[in-house]
Amino acid sequence: MKNTFIAQNPSVLWFLAALGLFTFGVTMLSEVTGVGVISTSFVKTLGKTLCLCLIAIAMDVVWGYCGILSLGHFAFFGIGGYAVGMWLMYARTEGIVLESLTSQTIPPTPQEITDAIGNQIFGVVGSAEFPMIWAFADSLFLQLLMVVLVPGLLALVFGWLAFRSRVTGVYLSILTQAMTLALSLYLFQNDSGLRGNNGLSGLQNIPGFKATPQATISIIFFIASAAALALGYVFFAWVVSGKMGSVVKGIRDNEARVRFLGYHVESYKLFIFTITAIVSGIAGALYYPQAGIINPGEIAPIASIYLAVWVAIGGRGRLYGAVIGAAFVSLMSSWFTGGGAPSIPLGFYTVEWTDWWLVLLGFSFVTVTLFFPKGIGGLFDYLVRKPS
Amino acid sequence: MSMLLEVSGVTVTFDGFRAINNLSINFAEPELRAIIGPNGAGKTTFMDIVTGKTKPDKGRVIWGEKNMSLLGMSESQIAMEGIGRKFQKPTVFEDQTVRQNLAMALKNPRGAFAVLMHKKTAANGARIEAIAEEIGLLGELRRSAGELSHGQKQWLEIGMLLAQEPRLLLVDEPAAGMTTEEREKTTDILRRAAETRAVVVVEHDMEFVRRLACKVTVLHEGSVLAEGSLDHVTSNPDVIEVYLGRANA
Repeated sequence: MKNTFIAQNPSVLWFLAALGLFTFGVTMLSEVTGVGVISTSFVKTLGKTLCLCLIAIAMDVVWGYCGILSLGHFAFFGIGGYAVGMWLMYARTEGIVLESLTSQTIPPTPQEITDAIGNQIFGVVGSAEFPMIWAFADSLFLQLLMVVLVPGLLALVFGWLAFRSRVTGVYLSILTQAMTLALSLYLFQNDSGLRGNNGLSGLQNIPGFKATPQATISIIFFIASAAALALGYVFFAWVVSGKMGSVVKGIRDNEARVRFLGYHVESYKLFIFTITAIVSGIAGALYYPQAGIINPGEIAPIASIYLAVWVAIGGRGRLYGAVIGAAFVSLMSSWFTGGGAPSIPLGFYTVEWTDWWLVLLGFSFVTVTLFFPKGIGGLFDYLVRKPS
Repeated sequence: MSMLLEVSGVTVTFDGFRAINNLSINFAEPELRAIIGPNGAGKTTFMDIVTGKTKPDKGRVIWGEKNMSLLGMSESQIAMEGIGRKFQKPTVFEDQTVRQNLAMALKNPRGAFAVLMHKKTAANGARIEAIAEEIGLLGELRRSAGELSHGQKQWLEIGMLLAQEPRLLLVDEPAAGMTTEEREKTTDILRRAAETRAVVVVEHDMEFVRRLACKVTVLHEGSVLAEGSLDHVTSNPDVIEVYLGRANA
């Protein structure tokens, strides 16, 4: 089966080879090997970009292949980030608290330790109590389980309600956007239990690896992100190949016809929606330790809209297109908004890219949608002639 | 001949308009039947009711030996029970190859997990090729369905229906937009299909219905106006009135 699947999808091998080469190259040029051509902060940027590529292929599967324009997948990404962030923050604070308490003559009781950790984490929102949702924060294993379970269950319940009522098209997009907005607004509240608009911070410090330099940690996360992207790519390529891919693309092109063929369309949509949500959660769990901080602003609807823009610019309905779109647009975005792009003095007005980048992005999006519906990935069609 | 599908006393109203009015109609297995009628006679609505797309206000739709009611079943459940439907406009999956189109329709488990784990087998391949030969598309299996001519798309859709192995095939205007030669071939396909199952053809074109040489049901204003051979119904004064009378009135 593996043989036929790879044989029928040669682009998977090409992708894996390119990704492997890229990962190897970046690792060799990073500060870890002493070469240091690529700075630690840029390694983090590249690692984060790989996570964005992973959620982009999930978006491509749900939108480009199954035709569900979800504007909520960044919510799942954020949930994954929060889930892993809770453990990172708890375990690191626990370490700090224990260290400061060792100097005391009387050994602290477990209650005192818990109170001190709570004070440290929630002092910023005027509380010291651990909310219910932090019940498993002391266990890395359980929090990693949450990375998968919470987005999965949320997608399952939300999708079941939406698809069962046959909400489709733009109405479904609005519904997913409302879900994201609601989640983001809820998390902004101080009593949401996740530190309100402060979010979770210090996530780049991995508990137990205090002595390890950030250069090493960043390269480990970079490689882990590359591995996750590779696995996600192969998994989704397998899902959308073969008969499942046929049915899913059929649903995108003519839902009613698939229904009359005897397929229970809702189950298929729910399956695709849920697995892509889970992968988005995993991508988020890898992203935020590299970003160092997560706050509710990350989940705002605009993030999910960007996601759709990346996939559209990269090329819907082909996984490498989504990867190219996410990498290209997000790196361009940080270059333009990070002051990398030179301003253009027009005499009467100076074009500052920090302000004009969004205009450029919007213009590119409209241009691609109108004139190059296949996106950047479509360029490969000119290079590779399909065997007929 | 046992009854395969019994529709009795069915009424459907859309915003006060009675699309189907106390309609009763039965189909045996095997049988080839043509349903004709002027525009708005309720032909398509009838198909919508049988396939579960439209729920009637009143009446019964009874299926098979077990006298199962089709009302309240979903489209996919009805399709799995053995009712296949061909739409008026050819609706094939244009992005996919002829083989993929047929493979999707082939009678196999329809659950998401079974489909995900589905492996190509020689037996399925042989079934696909047999159907492709039947509809005259054996040479086109690797082509994308979007590249096919209008007539070929219609045949492909009929082929997809045959692949479902339905007991009842509902075919909506299969000959629309076809050349004379293509019509002849379509007639052959449908007649052969009707040797083992019930095939119901909704058609405007009298010439095509004549070529099918089967029992004809005339619908008018949502109920059966006449039934019998084509010569029999076309000599019926009510039918003449409906088809020609309006111009004279």
